[in-house]
Amino acid sequence: MKAEEIKVAVMVMEGTNNEVATSDAFSMLGAVPEIVHINQFQKKDIPGDMKRRIDDYQCLFFPGGFSAGDYVRAGAIWAARMRATLKDDIVKFVRDGYPVGGVCNGFQVLVELGLLPGGSSEVIPDYPSAILRLNKSSHFECRHVLLRHVSRGRCAWTKNVGRDAVVEMPIAHGEGNFTLPSDTADAKVKELVSNDQIVFRYVDDTGKFSDEYPWNPNGSIYNIAGVCNREGNVFGMMPHPERVLSKYLLQRWHHMKGAGEEGPGVLVFSSVLDYIKRRF
Amino acid sequence: MSDLFKRKSDEFELFEVDILNASDDELASVSAEMGIGLSVDEMKMVRDYFSGVGRNPRDIELQALGQAWSEHCSYKSSKKILKKYVFGIDAPQNISVIKEDAGVVEFDKDHAYVVGYESHNHPSAVEPAGGAGTGVGGILRDIVCMGAQPIGVLDPLFFAPLDYSGKIPRGTKHPKFLYSGVISGIRDYGNQVGIPNVGGMVYFDDSYLTNCLVNVGCIGFMRKDELIHSYVGGLGDLYVLLGGKTGRDGIHGVNFASEELSEDSETASRSAVQVAQPILKEPLIHVCLLANRKDLLTGMKDLGGGGLSCVVGEMAQPVGLGAHINLDKVPLKEEGMTPWEILMSESQERMMVTVTQENLSKVLDLCNVWDVEASVVGEVIKSKNVVIDYDGMNIFDMDIDFLVDAPLYARPVEMPVIDESEPSLSLPQDYNVVLFSLLSSLNIASKEDIVRVYDHEIMAATVVKPLVGMINRTTHGDAVVLKPLSTSYRGLALTCDVNPRMVGANPYWGSASAMDESCRNLAAVGARAHSFADCLNFGNPEKPDRLGVFHESVRGLGYVARGLSVPFVSGNVSLYNESALGGILPTPAIFAIGIVDDIRNTCTVELKGVGNKLYVIGETRQELGGSDYYRVSGVCGGVVPRVDVDVLKRSCAAVVSSIEKGAVCACHDVSSGGIGVCISEMIIGSGGLGAKVDVGSVGEGLRPDFKLFSESNTRWVAEVTNAGLFEKVMKENNVVFYAIGEVTGDEKLVVSDNGRKIVDAGASQIAKVWDEGIRNIVG
Repeated sequence: MKAEEIKVAVMVMEGTNNEVATSDAFSMLGAVPEIVHINQFQKKDIPGDMKRRIDDYQCLFFPGGFSAGDYVRAGAIWAARMRATLKDDIVKFVRDGYPVGGVCNGFQVLVELGLLPGGSSEVIPDYPSAILRLNKSSHFECRHVLLRHVSRGRCAWTKNVGRDAVVEMPIAHGEGNFTLPSDTADAKVKELVSNDQIVFRYVDDTGKFSDEYPWNPNGSIYNIAGVCNREGNVFGMMPHPERVLSKYLLQRWHHMKGAGEEGPGVLVFSSVLDYIKRRF
Repeated sequence: MSDLFKRKSDEFELFEVDILNASDDELASVSAEMGIGLSVDEMKMVRDYFSGVGRNPRDIELQALGQAWSEHCSYKSSKKILKKYVFGIDAPQNISVIKEDAGVVEFDKDHAYVVGYESHNHPSAVEPAGGAGTGVGGILRDIVCMGAQPIGVLDPLFFAPLDYSGKIPRGTKHPKFLYSGVISGIRDYGNQVGIPNVGGMVYFDDSYLTNCLVNVGCIGFMRKDELIHSYVGGLGDLYVLLGGKTGRDGIHGVNFASEELSEDSETASRSAVQVAQPILKEPLIHVCLLANRKDLLTGMKDLGGGGLSCVVGEMAQPVGLGAHINLDKVPLKEEGMTPWEILMSESQERMMVTVTQENLSKVLDLCNVWDVEASVVGEVIKSKNVVIDYDGMNIFDMDIDFLVDAPLYARPVEMPVIDESEPSLSLPQDYNVVLFSLLSSLNIASKEDIVRVYDHEIMAATVVKPLVGMINRTTHGDAVVLKPLSTSYRGLALTCDVNPRMVGANPYWGSASAMDESCRNLAAVGARAHSFADCLNFGNPEKPDRLGVFHESVRGLGYVARGLSVPFVSGNVSLYNESALGGILPTPAIFAIGIVDDIRNTCTVELKGVGNKLYVIGETRQELGGSDYYRVSGVCGGVVPRVDVDVLKRSCAAVVSSIEKGAVCACHDVSSGGIGVCISEMIIGSGGLGAKVDVGSVGEGLRPDFKLFSESNTRWVAEVTNAGLFEKVMKENNVVFYAIGEVTGDEKLVVSDNGRKIVDAGASQIAKVWDEGIRNIVG
C-alpha cells in the first residue's frame, strides 16, 4: 500500500484528549487519519453516514486521555465497552496482522482489554495479564523521561528507532506503573524478554536503566515503558511520542545546535506506516 | 415568610410579592428573606418598574433581578472606574474586546486568540477542590462560546502561609488544606478535560487567611472565520440547552460572590458551590466546537454565573429581540425543584446555543454521537421581553433592558494615604544566610511540585515550558510559549504576575509594577506584549477606603497599558474579598499575552555555557517597598518600585531584539529577591554551571544588600554570547546595562561588591534550599 491509502482510526470516547496531536502525526506522514468516536462503531440510532466498521481501516490507534473519567480504573470502562461489542472484529483485525497502538490511556485500554502483553494463544484472553497501577509517587505527573529502545526487531511500531537508541518523550499520567502478578513477576519478565515483547525501558541521563525516581517516573517493573504482543503488531507505551513530533517540544532544545527539526516521536508513526506499506 | 408573599399556584411553588405597597423596611426584608442581595434603592427601582407594568412581581422575577444586578454579573461598582482607565485602548489587533465573555485578538492574517479571566474565590474558600475545579470549567466555557479551542489555562493562587500557626477563625480552613484542595481540584478537572495548565503563580500572605484567591485565565485559538458571538441570530431561532442536567448546586453563586465571607459561609453557602463533572465537559466542548465549525449555530453562550435567566436575556438583547422559554423542557438532576431554582441554578457543564429550525436535526445528531444531552428550551421572539412559562402558566415576563442593564454606581471613594518612609535595617552579617532565606521563602521557593501534577504538555504546543532547564533539574521559566499552529513558527507567550505587597503599600505604583513585571517576563523569552487581561481582587466597594485602593490600582494599570498602547481585552472584577477580620491585600493579577515572531528565537532562564558574559540590564535603585528582602528581614516600609513606561518600552524592545539576533542565550527578569535570587535561579536549571559576578557597578552608591536584593522594575540578567552585538542593540535603544561577570563551570555562585566577596554558595545547596522551601512544609 501507499501511505495515502492507509486509513487510520484514531479512536475516541468521552474523556479522550490527545487525538488531535495523534491525528497530526499520521497526516504529516501522508496517511489518512480519522478521529472516530466509539459510538460510530456501536450505536444504533446514529445517521448512516456517521457509522463505521473496524475493517474500514488499516490501523487502529487509542490515544491518551481520561476515557470515561478513568473511573473504576484507568482504561477499564473503554476496554469493557470494546470487549462487549467489538471483540470479534478486533481479534480478526489483529490476526490479519493489522497494527493496533495505544499511548498513555490508550496503552491502559489495551492492557485492560488483554491485548497487551497478550495471551500465548488467544489474541484477547479472558483476563488481563498485567496492569498499569497507580504511580509509586501516588499522584499524576507530567515530565520528560529518557527511554532506551530495547526491541530486537519484533515490534512493528518502532523499527525506525535505532537499536539501543535513547529517546526523550514526555509522560503525563497517574497510573503508569507497569505491574505483573507478584507471584510470577520474575518469570513473566523473562518470558517477555525472550519473546522480544519489551520495547522501551526508562533510563537515566547517563543512559543506564534506572529504578530511581524520577528517571523511572512511576515504579514500573524492570523499568518497562512500552511493550508489544508476541507478533509485534499490537503496541502500547506510557510516554507520548505524539507530543514530540518536533524537536522544539523537547525539554532541552534551546541547548541543541544544528540538526533537523524532527522530534523522536515521528519514528514511532513512520515505523508503523512503513510496516503497513510493506505488508499490505 | 412574611405576608407580602402570596402563593400563586397549587401545583408548584410560585409567589406574588406585594412590593407595590411596601415600605422601605419591607423592601429590605423582602430582599433579605429571598437572599437576592438588592439594596433598598434597587428595590425601589424594581417597584417603580412593576408599578409601570401595573402588577406585582413574582418571586422568580425578583430572583432573576437579584442575579442580573449582582456585582458579579453587572460590575455596578467598578465599571465607571474601569471605563475611565483601562477600557477603550485602541489597537489594530483588537477584534472583539471587553464586550463579550472573552476578548478576541488577532494572531495572524487568518487566526485569532481568545483571552478569558475569572475568579472563583469564595467557592474555593468554602469547598477548595470543587470551587477551583469549577473555576477551570467556567473559564473554558467562556473561551468555547466564542468558537475557540482552549489551548492553555493559567492559575494565579493566593493563600495564607502554609506554615501559618496563629489562631484559625471559626468557619475558616487552614491554608495548607485550602492549598492542597485547590491544587487537586485544578489538577483533576484540567487534566481530565485535556487542556494544558501552563502557568500561573502562587503567593502567600496572612491577609488571605479567611479569603483565599483562586483566579483562572485561559487562552483559546481559532480561525478568524470561526468567531461566533454570544447573541442570537434572529427571530425564530431556537434556544438549545446542551450538556449537563440542571440541579440545585450553584444556586445564588453570584450573590455569594458579591458579599463578604462570614463564619457561617461554610454551612450557609455550600449549595452556592457548583459540582464539577469534567467528564461531561470534555464532549460538550467537542460538540460545541464541531457544530460551530460546521456553521450550524447562530449564537453560543456559556451558562455561568446567573444561570438561565441571565443567559437568554443577554443573548437576545444585543439584536433587539426577546426570548420565550419553557422551563418544563430543562432536564433536571432531581425532582421537586421549584421554577426559580431551575432558572437560577449555576449547574456546571451547560452551554446555550441558538440554532435555526433548519439546522436543528444536524445539531441533535452530533450530540447523539457524542452522548451529549440536548434540549430545545425556547425560541427567540419579537417582543423585547424575557417570557417564561412553566406547567402551562406564564410565570415570568420582564423587559430585557430593565432585566439586563443593572444600575451603575459612582460610590464614594477615599484615596489611600501612602507612607514610604525607609525602615532602619543594618547590613547583613552573612549574605549567604539572607540569600538562602529568600530562596526558601514560600513566595520564591520552587513550585515544581504543583506544576508537575498539571498536564502542561497536552496538545503538543508547549515549546517553552513552565519549568525550563535540564530533565529532572529545572527552574521556573519567565513565561510559557505555545506554538498553536503546526504550519507556522509564530508563538504566543503567556504570564501571570502581581506582587500584592507592593500594591498594598502603594496601589498605583504597585499595580504599575505588576504590569512591568508581566512585560519583562514576556521580553525575557523573546516576546512582545500584545494584550492584557486583569483579574481585580479587592475588598468591599461599599467601604470608601477599599474603593479608593481599587481606583488607584486601576489607574496604575491604565497608565502602563496606555503608555505601551497595548490593550486590555478581557478581565474580571472580584470585590467583597474580606471578612470581619479585614480585607485581603489588593490583588490585581495581570495576565499578559505576548507574540513571538519565530519560536526558534526564544530564550530560556537557565545558564547555557561556561565563559559567557553576564549583564544586568536596567537601573537598580533603592526601591525595596514590598520587597522580599524587607519581608525576610522583618521590616516594612520603603519606596515601592516606580515604572517609567518609556524606559520599559525601549528596554523590552532591546531585550527581544538581542534575543532574536542571537546575542543572548539565557535571560531572566529581576523581581522577587532581586539580582541575587535571579542569578541563583539561572544556575539552578543549568544542572552544573555557576556564576562569578561583581555588582560594584550596579546601582552606584547603593548599599551592597540593596544592590543585590532591590526589586526595581524594568531589569533583567542576561547571559550573552556576543557582547559586541548585545551592547550595540542596548545602545541603539538607549538602554543602560552593566557587565557583571561570567558563567563558570564550578557549580558555585560567587558575588563580590567592588572586589569584596559577599556571597559564596554551592549550586547544589542553592538548588536544595529552593527545592525544599515548600516541600518541607507540605511534604
